Amino acid sequence: MGTTRRRGGNGGMEENTMAILDTSCFSKSTQHIADDRLSFLEAVRSGFLVPENAPAPTNKIYKEIFQILKVENSLYLIMSSYQLLLELDKRFPQVYLSTAKKSESSSPSSLPCNELVVVEEAWSPFAFGTEFSPNEKEDHGKTSGSLDATAFHDLIKDLVEVADEATTEVLDIKPLRNMLLFQYLVSFLEGDFVIRNLAFTENSDWVTLRESLLNMILVSRKITYKTLIKDCLSAMCQLSQFSMDSSNVLTPSDTESPEVTEKSHTALAIALPEVIKHTCVSVQKFLSMIIELDSSKKAADMEGWTTRADGVRTPAMEIIMDELTYDKNILLPFFQALDKPKLKLDMIVQYFQKYIPKTSVRTRRSNDSTNNSTFGGVLKCFSNENNTKSIIKKINTEVAQLLLAHAFQAFISLPCQDSTESKEDIVDNSLPEICKNMISAFNCLKKTDEHIVIPPFGKEALFTAAVMLSGV
Amino acid sequence: MEDDPFDFESDALLASSPVVAPKKRKKVIGLDDLLVDHYKEKNRVIERESKIAKTKKTYNSDDDEDGRVAKLSKYVDECHEKAQILLLFFHYLSEFMTKLSDEDDVSIWGLQVFGNQKSPPSFEFTNLQSCSIFHSFLNHEVNSLVELSTESGETFFEGLLTNGWLLKLVQKCGKVEKSIATWTFHLMLYSSKEALRSAAVNFWCAILLKNEGESLSLKIDWLPTYLELNVALETYGYLLNSPKKDSCDTEMDLGDSEHVGPPQNIRAWIKYISTCSQTRNFHFVFSTSEVEELVVVIIRLMLDRQLLGLSMDLYECMISLINFFKDEEWSASCTKISKSIASRIPLDINCLRAVECIPSVCLHSKQLRSEIAFRFLLGYFDKVEDEEEVIRQLTLINLKDKTCDLFRIYNYLVLTENWFLYNPMMKEKTLLNEMWGLYLRNCCCQINITDTRSYASKVRSKASYLVQVTSDTMIV
Repeated sequence: MGTTRRRGGNGGMEENTMAILDTSCFSKSTQHIADDRLSFLEAVRSGFLVPENAPAPTNKIYKEIFQILKVENSLYLIMSSYQLLLELDKRFPQVYLSTAKKSESSSPSSLPCNELVVVEEAWSPFAFGTEFSPNEKEDHGKTSGSLDATAFHDLIKDLVEVADEATTEVLDIKPLRNMLLFQYLVSFLEGDFVIRNLAFTENSDWVTLRESLLNMILVSRKITYKTLIKDCLSAMCQLSQFSMDSSNVLTPSDTESPEVTEKSHTALAIALPEVIKHTCVSVQKFLSMIIELDSSKKAADMEGWTTRADGVRTPAMEIIMDELTYDKNILLPFFQALDKPKLKLDMIVQYFQKYIPKTSVRTRRSNDSTNNSTFGGVLKCFSNENNTKSIIKKINTEVAQLLLAHAFQAFISLPCQDSTESKEDIVDNSLPEICKNMISAFNCLKKTDEHIVIPPFGKEALFTAAVMLSGV
Repeated sequence: MEDDPFDFESDALLASSPVVAPKKRKKVIGLDDLLVDHYKEKNRVIERESKIAKTKKTYNSDDDEDGRVAKLSKYVDECHEKAQILLLFFHYLSEFMTKLSDEDDVSIWGLQVFGNQKSPPSFEFTNLQSCSIFHSFLNHEVNSLVELSTESGETFFEGLLTNGWLLKLVQKCGKVEKSIATWTFHLMLYSSKEALRSAAVNFWCAILLKNEGESLSLKIDWLPTYLELNVALETYGYLLNSPKKDSCDTEMDLGDSEHVGPPQNIRAWIKYISTCSQTRNFHFVFSTSEVEELVVVIIRLMLDRQLLGLSMDLYECMISLINFFKDEEWSASCTKISKSIASRIPLDINCLRAVECIPSVCLHSKQLRSEIAFRFLLGYFDKVEDEEEVIRQLTLINLKDKTCDLFRIYNYLVLTENWFLYNPMMKEKTLLNEMWGLYLRNCCCQINITDTRSYASKVRSKASYLVQVTSDTMIV
């Protein structure tokens, strides 16, 4: 990995590589165009990724690869362009920390001089033109091929439909392409955001974080930020539920007899479950980046680094919590899908806190997330019959049980759970204590409701708690 | 309503102008009118021709009127003829262009790697009931809430697995009992339920990677061998040798599409192999020769269009497999793999795909890519063993010869490109590079731009691209 060969792309290389595509201009055969595009992708790979010190491809080349991912109908080309873009981003990051590169040779202890390097005029799949010109969007569509915030939001809306589309008889390539496109965009956003956020925490540099693509999307006036979050939630639930019970829907249908279509059908059917799973992970990644951005912004607010230009935005967490409170249909699918233990635990505890009687637990909103014994505290409430009764009046028994089980699962999945740095001194939150309180919470629930039916997931949690208690 | 001037469908309006309507209609030129006109025109031409035939006889007469008519009609005829020629020319041109660009016989790669699936081996769940976590819990006081029994055991354990509890439990206990290991392994490879197989493969990947950099070690009582994975692959219908193109169709007819592999479990299989090969330092799972065979399998899977959607997974798997080898083992293994691949993949469009699907991210993979390309090239020439001779053979080919198979030339180009580009040693071999340059120039110069043979334009543009690129890198 070199340091300063960005944008050095020599014109000759670009011209030669682009020429591969130009031959298609007088050809009408799609097969031939596809063939040229393939050779083009292969040429980019061998020209820019294989040599040790190759320059980054020019924006024109990037644009062309991205275009292939966006519009192509051949599975092969979609996969190849997707993979190539990911590899190029890895090799030629648009944003990086200068010492992160040097640290390979120098000692890693020289941390303080981390400097954020933003590559000027680098290509980006996102383009945020001036907000108020209606022609801008069309121009962008034609010239840069990059997406604006509206297009990105539309893509997320499409993801919600994916599950429905995939269950129909005829498998179309479009959902798969959209999912890969989304995954790529999130990975691009991540590459940009993570580094900038790191720079923010190290150097308190709010301005670069404000300029992160993620923030640009969220503050864009072309989209409704709240709807974006809500659409993410429903996409996440839909995708996760689809991947949980897609056991037999994807068998190739008999109606398609020609060999080629049948094969591409099988190819789609085999690929879809995996792609759907990864897309679900990407949606979560996107959401948790927003949550991180929120907390960084809050920190910047406190320090007075933000200006009025930054505007006011409801933290994503609050929107999600509201949505979970008002839309009971997504409550459980959401936690079922959520794969981030810490976030999950925090959210469930927050959710319970809304319903726990005020007298027993001080419900001050915990600001720092390493807060003492929050889950332990919730479990304690369930050891008291009166508390339990009043909670169950508001949330029904089944939901309460499932939430407890989810929280317990998140708790035992926390990475630091073995090392017990902060946990050991808090008795409430030690593993044996939590296990014990889990069991007693369920016993208490049974006492308050004689006819309780424990759902399988709750039983599994109890089983785990009991075995862990006896085994550890 | 009757007053509405825009209501054309109003009956009153129609009734009030019964005569106008048909008149108006006449103005519209229909397809029939055109046809009638066409025939009229044709008749007129015939008449005129007969007239001309008559007038031709009297062409030299002084009859001015006749002469003028004759001249005029001759002129018209000439124009007509010219137009015909022009049309013909356009027709040929377009035909030529499509021939030049379309190359209808562009072959599409793809091998049939899977045949009919076999029925999976059976598995008895009862073994699982002997495992200690199951056993100890039956008499546990909490069981009054859970109500676990030997009958409901299997469903319950499936729940434990899919929801991730089982993984947490074994991590806590520090031990994976044999009964659990075999059960989850079976589900991973043979279950038809997506939730189960994906949970099972996650379970296995997690326990295999567990020991990496963690203080608490995990004891796995039973590890599957290569043989078990091979059996699974055979059950999926994996064919050691792909059927030839012509026999392929009949075979496709034989198997009903429900049973032609691979099943969805192939994803779990690939993921498992990939993870396994990363854990060489903790578990002895594969020997080097077994991993060599697996690399060959993965390359062949890459050639099955049914698995196109898994190309990312296959790609990652191949990188893991290639990095399994220590540097000192690699060059011998690399040669072995290349030879095996070259002997088992037909020398057609598929061999190009086989080369191009190999990652080019690390030294090992680059070496493999170069080596495989070279082995394929060798396959094209009889009795040629050394590098120099291969290139010399290439430069001897007369591309102007009409019988020269340009598709073959195209393959040579791509293979040689890969062979040179991915082997850093090749840069030093000046003689070879010069001969390669000569060959490239031959491809550019000897094939005319108007050459209509299939693949002519592809060879030309590929070669000129390579000339540009190699000269660019030479200057740099």
